[in-house]
Amino acid sequence: MSKDLLNLNLRVWRQSDTNAQGEFHDYRLDGVSTHMSFLEMMDVLNEKLITEGEEPVAFDHDCREGICGSCSMMINGQAHGPDNATTTCQLHMRRFKDGDTIVVEPWRASAFPVLRDLVVDRTAFDRIIQSGGYVSVNTGNAPDGNAIPIASKVQEVAMDAAACIGCGACVAACKNASAMLFTSAKVSQLAVLPQGSAERTERVINMVAQMDKEGFGHCTNTNECEAACPAEVSVDNIARMNREYVRASLTAKT
Amino acid sequence: MDAITKILSLPAELLSKVPGIGPVITSLRTTIGQKILMAITGLSLIGFLVVHLGGNLNLFLGEEAFNGYAENLHSLGPLLWVAEAGLLVIFLLHLGLAISTSAASRKARKRAYELKETKQEGFVLPNGGSSGWMLATGIALAVYMLVHILDMKFDVRGFGEENKYELVKAVLSDPKTGVFYLLSLVLLGVHLNHGIGSAFQTLGLSNRKWRKLIAIAGTSLAVLLSAGFISIVIWASASK
Amino acid sequence: MFRVAEELLNSNVPEGPIEQIWDKHRFNMKLVNPANKRKYEVIVVGTGLAGGAAAASMAELGYKVKSFCFQDSPRRAHSIAAQGGINAAKNYPNDGDSTWRLFYDTVKGGDYRAREANVYRLAQVSNNIIDQCVAQGVPFAREYGGTLSNRSFGGAQVSRTFYCRGQTGQQLLLGAYQALMRQASLGKVEIFARREMMDLIVIDGVARGIVVRNLSTGKMEVHTADAVVLCSGGYGNVYYLSTNAKGCNVTAAWRCHKQGAYFANPCYTQIHPTCIPVSGDYQSKLTLMSESLRNDGRVWVPKNPDDKRSPQDIPDDDRDYYLERRYPSFGNLVPRDVASRASKERCDAGYGVSDTGLAVYLDFRDAIKRDGEDAVRKKYGNLFHMYEKITAENPYQVPMKIFPAVHYTMGGLWVDYNLMSNVPGLFVCGEANFSDHGANRLGASALMQGLSDGYFVVPYTIGNHLAKTQLDKIPESHPACTEALARANDRVSKLMNVNGKRTVDSFHRELGLIMWDQCGMARTESGLKQAIGDIQALRSEFWKDVRVLGGSETLNQSLEKAGRVADFLEFGELMCLDALAREESCGGHFREEHQTAEGEALRNDDDYRYVAAWEHGGDGKEVTLHKENLEFPNVPPTTRSYK
Ligand SMILES: Cc1cc2nc3c(=O)[nH]c(=O)nc-3n(C[C@H](O)[C@H](O)[C@H](O)COP(=O)(O)OP(=O)(O)OC[C@H]3O[C@@H](n4cnc5c(N)ncnc54)[C@H](O)[C@@H]3O)c2cc1C
Ligand code: HEM
Ligand code: HEM
Ligand code: SF4
Ligand code: F3S
Ligand code: FES
Repeated sequence: MSKDLLNLNLRVWRQSDTNAQGEFHDYRLDGVSTHMSFLEMMDVLNEKLITEGEEPVAFDHDCREGICGSCSMMINGQAHGPDNATTTCQLHMRRFKDGDTIVVEPWRASAFPVLRDLVVDRTAFDRIIQSGGYVSVNTGNAPDGNAIPIASKVQEVAMDAAACIGCGACVAACKNASAMLFTSAKVSQLAVLPQGSAERTERVINMVAQMDKEGFGHCTNTNECEAACPAEVSVDNIARMNREYVRASLTAKT
Repeated sequence: MDAITKILSLPAELLSKVPGIGPVITSLRTTIGQKILMAITGLSLIGFLVVHLGGNLNLFLGEEAFNGYAENLHSLGPLLWVAEAGLLVIFLLHLGLAISTSAASRKARKRAYELKETKQEGFVLPNGGSSGWMLATGIALAVYMLVHILDMKFDVRGFGEENKYELVKAVLSDPKTGVFYLLSLVLLGVHLNHGIGSAFQTLGLSNRKWRKLIAIAGTSLAVLLSAGFISIVIWASASK
Repeated sequence: MFRVAEELLNSNVPEGPIEQIWDKHRFNMKLVNPANKRKYEVIVVGTGLAGGAAAASMAELGYKVKSFCFQDSPRRAHSIAAQGGINAAKNYPNDGDSTWRLFYDTVKGGDYRAREANVYRLAQVSNNIIDQCVAQGVPFAREYGGTLSNRSFGGAQVSRTFYCRGQTGQQLLLGAYQALMRQASLGKVEIFARREMMDLIVIDGVARGIVVRNLSTGKMEVHTADAVVLCSGGYGNVYYLSTNAKGCNVTAAWRCHKQGAYFANPCYTQIHPTCIPVSGDYQSKLTLMSESLRNDGRVWVPKNPDDKRSPQDIPDDDRDYYLERRYPSFGNLVPRDVASRASKERCDAGYGVSDTGLAVYLDFRDAIKRDGEDAVRKKYGNLFHMYEKITAENPYQVPMKIFPAVHYTMGGLWVDYNLMSNVPGLFVCGEANFSDHGANRLGASALMQGLSDGYFVVPYTIGNHLAKTQLDKIPESHPACTEALARANDRVSKLMNVNGKRTVDSFHRELGLIMWDQCGMARTESGLKQAIGDIQALRSEFWKDVRVLGGSETLNQSLEKAGRVADFLEFGELMCLDALAREESCGGHFREEHQTAEGEALRNDDDYRYVAAWEHGGDGKEVTLHKENLEFPNVPPTTRSYK
């Protein structure tokens, strides 16, 4: 067999719906090109399954270039696979060896129920943003873009946090299934920018309350989330959110 | 599990209804609030340990110095009781929160991964380094403290020494107890190795610039405390 | 093959000097009494820049909004993938930009196939967009002094592009998404994620609702409203391989088309010159490498097609820097359509590199020699990193290999000046409408258009429609609703019941190849005719032999894909027909029969200066071509030349 082709054993989680038990299925896939992306390998698996009369593996994906945050697979115990700063869709098969067994699981967290196979429901993240992850400015209400100068360093900090793609890998990788990295990224972005500072007190209180309500775990500062985050969002943001939270708890009017 | 969490949260439930302090309690009951309390209680316990180690180092200065220190302490009378009661509350709070936060986090992932690896590097301990052992080391510490206080304060095992200095030496030089102490003190180091840096992060007192330094300082303090106590155990066994 | 309607389409552009049209029109439009707004329900399909902005803004005005997307969250709409930036006529760099210049550049860049009044309005509101986004907390790049930073993009001669690193689309979309989420928290917007629009409900000629399939449960839902705003993005995936996200589709627009909405200029497709080439037949999508690379990279192929040396070893004398050779004044910075065609020309002639022969080199050797590796890394580090991740080749040492790929579709549902289609009550915004970009879109203008439509145009124009139209409450049991529901159900069960042998993807791939070969960068009469026949044959095979496993009342991704591919199989034919009917070359549409001796596009303003809007005549029936004549009193047409 050419060195560009791999024979793989895939151990994939199959679950027909949220309430079903779910179990691993083992598949053999031969002749996988090392130039394929991981999702292309999954496509090939699915084509094979369909041809053989088995329902294809469901998985979320859209942009396939690491920005939409749809793809979400636990690959060999790693959120988005073994590479740093890489989403599942950007992972390439040259990262694996001939004969490897690859275990593919969905994100596992009570707040992310499995919908089918590898597809999970991440609407909890939407509700966290709904609870305060915005600036309350109506269309047409804005002053000139240059009216408030923002030091480029501050803007860089905001951008680092804003880079979050909302994939949920932080939750998936955290041993506590905590959503602190995701939540703190938005809290941070808006707290450091002058545009967001008017609402920073209510924002952090409400967003943390919503995060808790969704059933995410506590942060024990394990930092696994940062290591797993494809957008390289830093746990600095968690510290900043904690700080914001302390400040808000002490100054909130209610 | 649920029942434990319920019982543990009962006092907070009641307190949050009290006018005036209600809102504060409410904000302390969130995930972040609980962690802040853990950090504060944890750091307070460290504060106690620093003082405790300082006091115990008097052992090296001889019987007179140590007993003098112990008597001085006891002469505080009611003040000491208040401090001890405070320590107990802090300890119980830390313990209670440790259990309830761990339980909540376990509930946040009902089904475990078939395979789970880490992307971080450089851990000495498996399972993600010290941070993976916080509850275990913490519970071991609680057991240690129970045994420790029963021996040192109440001499329940009946070493029969009236004199604190002699009692300490007697307890520590008992081989089984000595080994138990040494083990527990290593676990203390493990607990604090993660705990100190973690507490700073929890309180928001950390950022990219300081994180490394805080971690190094935390580990150093952990080692120092652990080694300090261990030196006493070794001294006691050796000087018997 | 088709009928031509006698009557010309009316764009409803008000009379007057172009600078005043929008202001006057806003004054003349009817307003909805603020207290009445909450009585109106508006459906917005799509949560990209256009849909997200429209839904949030209309909710802020007081309308009750229902927002739909097929992804699991509104934040994942395809707009998120835009990298380069967004244009505005702020003239912050003081380099001579103005509303007029942005207007002029866009009309010219579109090869004189866009509607002047729309483009002028776009340029006018472009500045408001930047202000709005900044206020939302979009972290645009800044200068050290704290002011907004601009760069020049896509060969523009002024620096008018605002950007957030290489993630401008993401940041703009998150801004709109957050505005949308805020309205959701206030109860003004109801979010329906994982919903695919299956059909449009038209009652007495007016759009009054949609049928959607809940993608997690498989259940059909009927949603009625007083107006429908379609912001469902582009259809580049008709080619199977494109830079678009996998879910991008024509389904929403196509179902509207089948309910009467005209489809305009479907053949106008933008093929982007700098994408990572195809590596094998498993390829599922193509990745764009930002246009900015051409600022420093030089494009070449070996002079000898049999040159087997590795590129670094080929001396300059044996290299053909064909863009610099053909276009001495613009060189590597010619517009996208020109650059794409030039590389196709070289590859067709056998000079292409890589195993497939379908790639050209984009070489940074000279830039690295001139400015140093660090300077190059600073500018393009993340792009080089992305390239290496995908190809496992280090572009600091080996030239990149690139090839054109389908990127953007200028065509879409026909809309008038109010962004309303010919079906009253159906508004179309963003890439889904036939847009303000004519036959070719300039870089960083799609984000601008999506947000312009969503924040600053449709929220006003929809009020005019609502205030002027008698809109009775529609019960879900209305026959039009039950018919639409039946159509949707019927379609699903038809797909499920074919029980054939071939996978959906295999059909999609085959369609993509036909489209790429015959209706891609260069088109011919015979090729297009051939394609139409091939598509018809493929379509009938699809309905005989497609295999969709699983159930319909559950999450079933094969079924989702099958529905989209079925529509592409119908739509592709219309694209080819449109390309066939347009006997000229303009922008992204290049007919080999219509070129100059040097191989440049030859436009025919006398006969084809119109928008081609197609009316569906019923399945298997003749389609009708409606024309909207285009006038250019302000930007007189010239020949685009980059020599
Ligand atoms: C890789 C890439 C880079 C780009 N870079 C730039 C750039 O730098 N600058 C620039 O100006 N432009 C750029 N563009 C173009 C620009 O991103 C798009 O044209 C623009 O974002 C389209 O926005 P939209 O709101 O019209 O549609 P989209 O963002 O595509 O949103 C479509 C929405 O409709 C929904 N939808 C679609 N079909 C259905 C259905 N059947 N049922 C229900 N919902 C449906 C989707 O869920 C989604 O929410 C780029 C495009 C690509 C592909
Ligand atoms: C002398 C006794 C103890 C000290 C000094 C101490 C100190 C600390 C500190 C500083 C933290 C960090 C708080 C934070 O992360 O914000 C901590 C966390 C923790 N402690 Fe303790 N602790 C002690 C005893 C215990 C005991 C008896 C238990 C358990 C029964 C325990 C369990 C935990 C747990 C579970 C955590 C959270 C883990 C984490 O943050 O990663 N500790 N402790
Ligand atoms: C080897 C080292 C240690 C020695 C010699 C030592 C000695 C003592 C002595 C003599 C007392 C009794 C004081 C009294 O009678 O009031 C005491 C109490 C106590 N010790 Fe230690 N100790 C050691 C380590 C530790 C450690 C590691 C911990 C915690 C993790 C700890 C926690 C306590 C507590 C909580 C009390 C009760 C305090 C009080 O009631 O005031 N000790 N210790
Ligand atoms: S913080 Fe990182 S891992 Fe978490 S959702 Fe955002 S991008 Fe994903
Ligand atoms: S991994 Fe989990 S424990 Fe905290 S630091 Fe990250 S959320
Ligand atoms: S599919 Fe969009 S990030 Fe992977």
